[in-house]
Amino acid sequence: MYNDLDPLLHSQLRLAIMSILVSADEADFVFIREKTGATAGNLSVQLEKLKEAGYLEIRKSFKGNYPCTTCKITPPGIKAFEQYVTTLQDYIKPGQS
Amino acid sequence: METHFSEKESLELITRMISSAKNNLQKGMGSIFLLWGYLVAVISLAIFLLMLFLPHETKYHSYMLWSLMAIGGPLHYRLVKKMEAQNLVKTYIDKIMDYVWIAFSVSMVTVIAGMIIQAILVLPAFTDVEPGHEFLRWFPWTFVTPVMLCLYGFALFVSGKAYQFKPLVTGGVICWIATAFLIIFFHHPHLLKIQQLVLFICAVAGFVIPGHLLRKKENSHV
Repeated sequence: MYNDLDPLLHSQLRLAIMSILVSADEADFVFIREKTGATAGNLSVQLEKLKEAGYLEIRKSFKGNYPCTTCKITPPGIKAFEQYVTTLQDYIKPGQS
Repeated sequence: METHFSEKESLELITRMISSAKNNLQKGMGSIFLLWGYLVAVISLAIFLLMLFLPHETKYHSYMLWSLMAIGGPLHYRLVKKMEAQNLVKTYIDKIMDYVWIAFSVSMVTVIAGMIIQAILVLPAFTDVEPGHEFLRWFPWTFVTPVMLCLYGFALFVSGKAYQFKPLVTGGVICWIATAFLIIFFHHPHLLKIQQLVLFICAVAGFVIPGHLLRKKENSHV
């Protein structure tokens, strides 16, 4: 049934990550972890997959003395997300639910 | 976590995550409003009082107190650095608001720098003023406060609407009313004194009060 949905986005954690990043200009790793409730290890793995697909950029820097990882969605990431939502809307058209 | 889920759950997740990032109020914003609000309020009130009590020959020297605004620069930088460390997300609204306040600062600096350059370089060479037109020497300075207040109104109104924070919108509207008031009473013999008093009221209404309320709201969001 979900063949048309981007398999990379049709996973709870990856979709949650993309939803946060589509509404924010950029977000810290800690913020995404807090909002999704995921473990740091799992989140790192999923972020890496999205990065490999070119859906987001990951920047590592320092805030004061502490390392910080900032994530930002890329234009292909926005396009993929929009396509995912459009496909989703097609499934939920009146009479189909 | 590779679990698949229904289209309904999918949409719910998207909505929940988007609103969680959207309703994030930037921590530390209130402190920046308080810094500039108190600086302008204290300086304008001090100048107003000095102009009331100083003799005519020296009362305009009290305008030199505006140079104290420079101490706001390093303090602002420190607050921004602290804010960046505290805030884990930057929304598009935050980004646009950054640009609005940068544009506001550039506008202010442009007006003030233009006036200072005019006073230092152009005015001394401006000797052959026709009799009865001596007012041209000081006249442009009377425009600085209304222009600044109009810019305050613009930036405060946009910020208030963007963050859906009414005290900032009210502050902005008060600044616009004050601008109109100062222009309408342009001919008043005590205009310069009145301008400082109006500036004090606007700094309190537009920055100090919203700044304290923002701080309260930020703390309640923790």
